[in-house]
Amino acid sequence: MNHIQTITEFLVDEFLPDIEAGSLTADYDLLAGGVIDSLGLLKVIAWLEDRFGVVVDDLEIAPDNFRTVAAMNEFVRNAGRPTERAA
Amino acid sequence: MTTTVQDARTPLSSRSFVESFSANVRRFPDAPALIWRDEPVSYRELNDRVRHASAQLSAAVIGTAPVGLRCSKSPDSIALVLACLMDQRPFLLPSATLPEQTLQELFLRAGCAGVLTAPSSPTGRYSWAVPQGAVRTQRDRGATGRVRGFSPDPGAVTFMLTTSGSTGLPKIVPLSEGAVDRFTDWAGTQFELCPGRSVLNFSPLNFDLCLLDIWATLKHGGCAVLVEPARATSGGYLRHLLVRHEVELVQAVPMFYQLLAQANTVEFGGVRHAVITGDRIAPGCLAQIPGMFPHARLYNLYGCTETNDSLLYEIDPTDLPTGALPLGDPLPGVRALLAGEDGTIQNGPGIGELYVSTPFQTAGYLGVPHGGSRFVTHPGGDYFRTGDLVRRHEDGSLTLEGRKDFQVKVRGVRTSIEQVEQVLGRHPDISEVAVVAVPDPVAGHLLHAETRRVPGSALNSLLLRKFCADHLARTAIPSTFRIAENPLPRTSTGKIDRQMVARLHMERD
Repeated sequence: MNHIQTITEFLVDEFLPDIEAGSLTADYDLLAGGVIDSLGLLKVIAWLEDRFGVVVDDLEIAPDNFRTVAAMNEFVRNAGRPTERAA
Repeated sequence: MTTTVQDARTPLSSRSFVESFSANVRRFPDAPALIWRDEPVSYRELNDRVRHASAQLSAAVIGTAPVGLRCSKSPDSIALVLACLMDQRPFLLPSATLPEQTLQELFLRAGCAGVLTAPSSPTGRYSWAVPQGAVRTQRDRGATGRVRGFSPDPGAVTFMLTTSGSTGLPKIVPLSEGAVDRFTDWAGTQFELCPGRSVLNFSPLNFDLCLLDIWATLKHGGCAVLVEPARATSGGYLRHLLVRHEVELVQAVPMFYQLLAQANTVEFGGVRHAVITGDRIAPGCLAQIPGMFPHARLYNLYGCTETNDSLLYEIDPTDLPTGALPLGDPLPGVRALLAGEDGTIQNGPGIGELYVSTPFQTAGYLGVPHGGSRFVTHPGGDYFRTGDLVRRHEDGSLTLEGRKDFQVKVRGVRTSIEQVEQVLGRHPDISEVAVVAVPDPVAGHLLHAETRRVPGSALNSLLLRKFCADHLARTAIPSTFRIAENPLPRTSTGKIDRQMVARLHMERD
């Protein structure tokens, strides 16, 4: 299941009011440019949990899983399967 | 009664970091030195990693030429810093989030013979690179180390930290071995650091705050409980570390206490000292601290990267100040004074710029004549002009009023609004820009950029953020942007009206 469009729309709504959904590419680094700061990250995670029913342990947050739209999509797809904690 | 020059004149004897750390490894090899991802790293294990790092450093660099370290926090990064300290090799430790070009310029300016990156596994190799544009023979331009085997040299440079430049490149702050030893001794005595004591390290590895919570802790045989920077804003994670690892000393910026207060449901009864530092704390947040730390002594600690900690105020938990927290009294050996616009010393109540002289301070910015204009000589010593405007009250107590320049704290990091404006102003599609600091209950301040783009440009916040990421440290990237085509408001003298920009922004919110 591909959630790229849903995730992109959420991010644009929440963090990028001035741009159109089409301008945010799946590989744009959301952390480097500060679109999502460390507090924004918590908001994104809460939304992913709510929207896709995934559970993200407070202690298991690895920012690289949320760096790009593509990474978030991958994270949601893998949720539920046993994954190794990012080193 | 008020005094102008405050001076406790307590002579500080100092023990060398190198000798103390080596003695700790011999005496308590199995005691934990670090906690990382809930796992202990013993003094023996840490020392093994130091030797591994030292061997690779010696193979790569002749003598004790300065090196640059690209480190985010980890046991191996700490081992790399320790290896430099043990070998008495100067090292530049800049923020890992600075743009690549800025990092390269800093490494060159510090005369680094090479730049090391810590490996991701304990047995991995340190990756090594020569700074772009460097020539091997230029070590005489930077700080110089000393030949191994000599006795400790209190004047030799060890740490080189960076501070946000008011404009352009960050400034390099070299700290001498003696300054680090005197500071780590003071911290050990003040906060009862000793073997078996757990200390939380909240700040990133390049912050001067680590001189207390990592380096003083390791000198005195304690255990530094490391907060992973990537998870540092999760209150639940912070609570977990405090409880699980029985932390006894906490030093952190107000944001830490705010995050903890939001997530907390327990008392941290084991904490003996809780230190607030780096920024003003909101009264609502301060009010929650005595309840969270019922058995702790509470402090407000004032310092700058250039001077390290300077003033300390102990907070009475049963009688919290209603206004700004007092800055407190000078630490032993520290002198503090207030100066007027023209640099004359101010006696009595009023507002002036705070000048401090400490036993822990830098001799001046690296590569700047006479250390830079922020360093001045006054009776009693060489003072650093902090840029902080401070009020001396009738009773002699001091409180922070604001800054002389356009600097604010964003998540505890000193950030120059002017620098952010200058960087944005260099973007070819921007014709006008104003950056304003908006108070934020958690971060202290957040930056907002109001920009006017040139007509017909397709500039949007994504492109602008990418541009910022290439030229600014992450904390200096504005949280919000507004990109419009109409002109920015101006004052009657034709300058961009920052106050109006801030007001319009708040109203739109």
